[in-house]
Amino acid sequence: MKIVAVTACPTGIAHTYMAAARLEKTAKNFGHEIKVETQGAMGIENKLTESDIRQAQIAIFAVDIEVEGKERFHGVKVIQVPLQDALKNPEGIFSKIQR
Amino acid sequence: MLEQLQKLRQHLLTGVSYAIPFIACGGLLIATAIALAPMTPSGPDFSHAPRLQLISDIGSASFALMLPVLAGYISYSIAGKPGLVPGFLGGYLSGQVKAGFLGAILIGLVAGYIVEALKKIPVSKYLRPVMPILVIPITSGAIIGVLMLKVIGVPIALFMDHANRALAFMSTGNGVVLALILGAMIAFDMGGPVNKTAFFFGAAMISQGNYRIMGACAAAICTPPLGMGLATLIRKKLWSVEEQEAGLAAIAMGLIGITEGAIPFAAADPIRVIPSIIAGSAVAAAIAMAGGVGDHAPHGGPIVFFAVDHRFAYVFAIVAGTLLTALLIVLLKLRSNGFAEVEEDPA
Repeated sequence: MKIVAVTACPTGIAHTYMAAARLEKTAKNFGHEIKVETQGAMGIENKLTESDIRQAQIAIFAVDIEVEGKERFHGVKVIQVPLQDALKNPEGIFSKIQR
Repeated sequence: MLEQLQKLRQHLLTGVSYAIPFIACGGLLIATAIALAPMTPSGPDFSHAPRLQLISDIGSASFALMLPVLAGYISYSIAGKPGLVPGFLGGYLSGQVKAGFLGAILIGLVAGYIVEALKKIPVSKYLRPVMPILVIPITSGAIIGVLMLKVIGVPIALFMDHANRALAFMSTGNGVVLALILGAMIAFDMGGPVNKTAFFFGAAMISQGNYRIMGACAAAICTPPLGMGLATLIRKKLWSVEEQEAGLAAIAMGLIGITEGAIPFAAADPIRVIPSIIAGSAVAAAIAMAGGVGDHAPHGGPIVFFAVDHRFAYVFAIVAGTLLTALLIVLLKLRSNGFAEVEEDPA
């Protein structure tokens, strides 16, 4: 499955990137293709392009703050979870998707 | 209800995430200027140091901007772009009437919800283009302005003044109790919402001219990863190879004041790790408070050493908290040895 994801935490220096790494690792284990955009203190990095989003079957928001550029995700199925979930139980997120 | 509260938290944290760099800029510039200027009984003397005065002025400007940014982005988080005007206005006015960060947070929320309500008013499609550029900014801006200047501003300013005075003249005993609570909160979820609440209280107090709350937080911030890292070094056998690697990473993160470094350990073994790091952070915060540690930067750990007052007490607080955490976790692990060793670190 093709997946896009956004991670963001209030300070944007540690959690944001740790969550992105966990999502990438777990997606690989599940055999999914994933691209994760980080919205940290440095602003948006690894930005999801329009075609990334259009091709994705699902978007994961693992965020504690408002996602920047939410309107880009119109027409894509979005699931939003607290950032902690991506850190502590990323497997749970993916098994939820598969159901 | 729970979902509503989570949403509310998300809006507040969005505002905070935009405001923190402004506090860092302001706090550090002002601290630098004060540290280099000759100190007199009535405060630092900038009269013969125009360059330091300049640096201090720039820092003050950053502090002044922090309030509009905080309120503006809280409102933005709720209502999107149209939320910015009343949010920024409300935050700016909050600074003008001296209602501080509390006023800014409240007015940011109110601004966002007012704009959300205004957006829902049905209008004919001919009028729709003038809604976002005329009707919403003017209406919401006027409402927010009146609210801040004539209704809630003054009571909040009075409250802030009282609270600041109470905190500034807090007895050592009360201060230590407050520090114990803040330290425990910092360690409790290692960078999560509880941690951020304590952290933002400390950071916001910097812009009110009280550096000791942040001083206590700063000491507490680094002891969880430092303590866990130390524990992997002093009793290697208790930890898997992965955990020993995570220990080194944790020490590095601790040194630069990132509490999150302890998360891999807490995730693997919360029941033993979380109490150990709470105890260490609470003690570190209490020692820092009792030792008069002040921190001019909204960040913690050894990395802010030069932004800290009473540096000896600061170092002592960090060392004591780190040792306590390391000793506690080693003792708890030893007591339940056997299965602790085979547990795997998920990170």
